Amino acid sequence: MICSFCSLLCDADDLNEIQCDRRTASLVQFETLRSIKAGLPQLEKQVDAELIIVAIESLRAANRILVTGRIASVATARAAVAFAAKYNATIDCAESGHVFKNVLAIQRSGLNSVSLAEARDHSDLFIVVGDDSMLAACPRMPAALSGGKPNLQTVLLLGDFSAAAAELWKSVGFDAWSVPCDVRTVPSALAQWSRSSDQSPSHRSSEMRPTKQLFERMAQAEYTTIVWSAENLRIEHADLWVERMLQWIAGRNETLRCAALPWSTLDGTFQQVCTWLTGFPGRVAFRDGIPQYDPHGHSYEQWIARTPIGMSRESIVVLIDETASSTPFLNLVSMQASGKCKIIELTGNSKCFPTAVAGVEVIADIFRADQTVLARVSPSHKLVPSIKSAAEWLEGLSQ
Amino acid sequence: MITRIHGAVCIDGIGKSEIRDLVLNGESICSLPKDSRADAEYRLDGHIVVSGGIDIHTHIGGGKVNIARLLLPEMVDHKRSNSERSGKESNWIAPLSSPVPATWETGRRYLEMGYTACFEPAVLPANARQSHAEMADTPWLDTGGYLLLGNDRLLLEWIRDGVPQQQINDYVGWMLRAHQCCAVKVVNAGGIDAFKFNQRHLSVDDQHSYFSITPRQILCTLSQAVESLGLAHPLHVHCSNLGLAGNIAATMATIDAVEGRRLHLTHAQFHCYAADGPHGYSSAAHRLADRVNSDASLSIDVGQVQFGQTVTLSGDTMHQYANRNLARPRKAIFQDLECQAGCGVLPFRYRQDQYVHGLLWTIGIELFLRVEDPLRVFLTTDHPNGAPFTSYPHLIRLLMNYDFRMSVFSRLHPDVQKSSPLPSLKREYSLEEIIKMTRLGPARALGLKNRGSLIDGSLADVVVYERSENPEQMFSRPRMVFRRGKLVYRDGVFLDDAMKSTVVANVQVDSQMDDLLNRIWRSRYGYSTEMIVVRSDELRSKNRTIEW
Repeated sequence: MICSFCSLLCDADDLNEIQCDRRTASLVQFETLRSIKAGLPQLEKQVDAELIIVAIESLRAANRILVTGRIASVATARAAVAFAAKYNATIDCAESGHVFKNVLAIQRSGLNSVSLAEARDHSDLFIVVGDDSMLAACPRMPAALSGGKPNLQTVLLLGDFSAAAAELWKSVGFDAWSVPCDVRTVPSALAQWSRSSDQSPSHRSSEMRPTKQLFERMAQAEYTTIVWSAENLRIEHADLWVERMLQWIAGRNETLRCAALPWSTLDGTFQQVCTWLTGFPGRVAFRDGIPQYDPHGHSYEQWIARTPIGMSRESIVVLIDETASSTPFLNLVSMQASGKCKIIELTGNSKCFPTAVAGVEVIADIFRADQTVLARVSPSHKLVPSIKSAAEWLEGLSQ
Repeated sequence: MITRIHGAVCIDGIGKSEIRDLVLNGESICSLPKDSRADAEYRLDGHIVVSGGIDIHTHIGGGKVNIARLLLPEMVDHKRSNSERSGKESNWIAPLSSPVPATWETGRRYLEMGYTACFEPAVLPANARQSHAEMADTPWLDTGGYLLLGNDRLLLEWIRDGVPQQQINDYVGWMLRAHQCCAVKVVNAGGIDAFKFNQRHLSVDDQHSYFSITPRQILCTLSQAVESLGLAHPLHVHCSNLGLAGNIAATMATIDAVEGRRLHLTHAQFHCYAADGPHGYSSAAHRLADRVNSDASLSIDVGQVQFGQTVTLSGDTMHQYANRNLARPRKAIFQDLECQAGCGVLPFRYRQDQYVHGLLWTIGIELFLRVEDPLRVFLTTDHPNGAPFTSYPHLIRLLMNYDFRMSVFSRLHPDVQKSSPLPSLKREYSLEEIIKMTRLGPARALGLKNRGSLIDGSLADVVVYERSENPEQMFSRPRMVFRRGKLVYRDGVFLDDAMKSTVVANVQVDSQMDDLLNRIWRSRYGYSTEMIVVRSDELRSKNRTIEW
């Protein structure tokens, strides 16, 4: 089944009980929005219609509304976009900073990509770029890419991977090689490798020095798949790094076959739905119901940074999280900023609607981590009886 | 609710075009005694009434469309699409905000032209749920999808291994049901998969470098399956050698490959080129048209090119990749997907003064004019590949008015004007023929017995146009559109939502396929077929139903 937390294939019996490193890692990166959530009062289990009415009044009175958070399902993404359109809000997901590393590069240069299962079935060489945090966040990655063909698939780990990482890939049947290097240098190293007419690896000037045997394996590969996770690319201007990788892949396709498999974040589903509903992959501000796209100006960070000092009720953040196993919620947070740092403080007027976990407590359509397969994930059990989904709350607030 | 329309000329290509009362009783058209009472009556002298338009081939939902949206945010211009034109042009349809607009805009613009049903021609097996989700978000339109087969590695293996045809029939039936599609489409048979093995060319009798089978075998096998399953729509084929000079030979070989079975050739304009003339690129439209005219088992949609910016998107990764350097702006997306599908997305600008682009324009028009039976040639631009669908009214005017056609022709590249036979083709389509090719013909080709005409029992999806000397203006903006008997659009105002349906093939499925394919899927792709099977209840909601 598809895990609703990481959008990966998973054979765990009870997803809700999994202490998933990927989820933990992404929560750590949720800093700004987490700071909002941290100050919220205890979740109320019973929410009556009065609260909805009060919330709608607050929304109508607000000058600025931001819809953000962790939207994991198609239904909630649809409802969130409709809600944003109705209230002329800005909408941007919590992890869009990672999403847009890839999006900005693709919008500039295009893309040659491969789906996860196609790579699993067809690719004979995987080049995985990153570090151990990538595997910690995506522990199922090696298993998901392993085609069950021992010694027929090679994985080359480029970056700061430990010996344990290579062992993990070997354990699922890969012929695993690791070449330690600075991730930032990978695009130029690959380009240099491709340009070189002398195929002796000893002549490479790059930091990346594959052995002769590995060099031959790379040269003989019939279908190379390059894997990275934007979420775990800890480099500045990562979109430029991605663009250079995409250009290298495009060049290699002139004579061979090669494709990228950029691992999406949890926001992949929202990105897809927002694209077909608005024409844009997020970072959209609605004006008179018309979506306006600004990949830099309409990020949630920019929205928060622009919050006028001293305003409270006029600015509302609608914060959605339908992925957390213990405290999923949809919050309306009135906010104010103070000082140059624009520190967000809760005003005490927040309204909290507990929501069901997408794919665990309610049926959810969720895109796989490669954003090509939209899977229906059925609920395993309900944590809270009769709990509403985030989509249902949003629809109620849009009345 | 009973609605009676008086005074308008009813045109459907079946009965005589004449002024008569048309009664919409609930969701259907029906006869009522003349003096019976109606809930709403409209006196519409000087108007025509037709059934809702049906677009048999338009890319409106699914991964490749969304990828194109992702790639081209800079092409979105809501000001352009929202601006009202002034003066006498105010009734003309506004341009799309983008060649690949958001779903709501697609539905809105189609309804504004009087279209009520559209068919997505490339639903990828692993990605059908997304296609259906996007089409569900496309308002006012009934939809359906054609399932992309003919490159799926399992099928190629089975053909190579010579499994019984019945096994393949069962597989095709299972796939159709699992993905809730109404027809089978082949794109560059075997070529998408061959490209994954770095094969850059594959014509009808070339061998796939890995499977050692030919596209001819694939086409023959799949056409047998479609016939055996009793599908209403014949095999819907995007031929080999898309866009290549001289590809008419492959197109003719494709027709031969199905051994006399029914066949629909899609965006035929892109597949009927000879390699003659001053630039080694010329029209072979007469050859294809002659073949269609002489063989009642064939139908085509044209995929007409119009000049301007658009984006091409196709499952034919092999040929989209070959055209990568023609992308304007210079960026493109190519994807290799499981179930051996693919997609290539290339922004493209068709220029009036460019020889090949002008030639493509004339070839499409030639096909329209040379194919005699309007029930077997359908009006499409292969949206957005040849042009956005909003260019249909302009295209209709080109077909109905020789002088207007020649005025555009006179602006093409001089070598096109010298070599094209277009000036000698004086045919002008009649209104009845236009209605046939946009309504009755597609309905019959898809087996939609309750659509495409105004006979009793048909769905009350009805469009009212004000008669005009200028068909472009007339077909740009209907006065009224009824969906299931409900007035949903009037004089530029959208009044109400309406029930939508998804057209799905009613095929019997061999339950033994469940286990077999599940095992194969798990082994090959690492997941259960349960993950991709689209259940019927997913296509039903308070305003959406299934039509078998």
